[in-house]
Amino acid sequence: MSITGLNVLGLLKTKMLWHQDRQRVLAENVANADTPGFKARELRMPDFGQSAVSAPASVVMASTNPLHQAPMGGGAGRDDRRSHTFEITPEGNSVVLEEEILKVGQNAMDHQMVSQLYSRSIGLLRKAISRPA
Amino acid sequence: MDLMKTIMVAASGLKAQSGRMRVIAENMANVDSVAPRAGLDPYRRRVPTFETSFDRELNAEVVKLGRIQKDNSDFGTRYEPGHPAADPRGYVRTPNVNTLVEQMDFRQAQRSYEANIGVIGTTRRMISRTLDILRG
Repeated sequence: MSITGLNVLGLLKTKMLWHQDRQRVLAENVANADTPGFKARELRMPDFGQSAVSAPASVVMASTNPLHQAPMGGGAGRDDRRSHTFEITPEGNSVVLEEEILKVGQNAMDHQMVSQLYSRSIGLLRKAISRPA
Repeated sequence: MDLMKTIMVAASGLKAQSGRMRVIAENMANVDSVAPRAGLDPYRRRVPTFETSFDRELNAEVVKLGRIQKDNSDFGTRYEPGHPAADPRGYVRTPNVNTLVEQMDFRQAQRSYEANIGVIGTTRRMISRTLDILRG
């Protein structure tokens, strides 16, 4: 069995490849920030399917009294659907430089997270095959 | 490696923006270049253009400097009868360069250049993080 056949490592590898491709798309946007008629583009999130990743069950507080208020819905995460830009210059360019730079930073952070998870998973495997002390 | 391609795309942006800055510098330098004698045109402002081109090797849309066009707006005039380029009424035609516009253009080019540098820096960090997996 190869290492990439493992479920977690395969998923992490896919995610890292996705971050690489996204970085290229974002670099295209930044490079063409002043080209007339250029439309900013974005990469769709990879679809891991329901079987691969199940959403973690969120912890909710129990309400023991009818006066208890329900927790705020939804997490504090970012809204991915808001990724389309809001500004188009008269020459037909829809790249907002600040937005793109923000996305580049976010992409790099996510990539760092995935690569650290990857090395941690490898470390787990290494620990499993190592000689007991 | 895909991240190297990212760096190449950002580098095309750097190259295009620096070419634009070069044209702007030409305009700024020639802001006082009037004709050497009467009947000739003074310096005409030049306008850099950008175009997107698909790079098959990188499989990405890079930017490059297109044809440098001429600005066909009217020349300015200045009353200076003693000048060798003065017309019979005593007016000298001056280049159609507005230093304020050029300065703002230059600033914009500088910002875009810095944005591309930022992308290159971030991508380099991503590469080194990927290599860090080897260290375990």
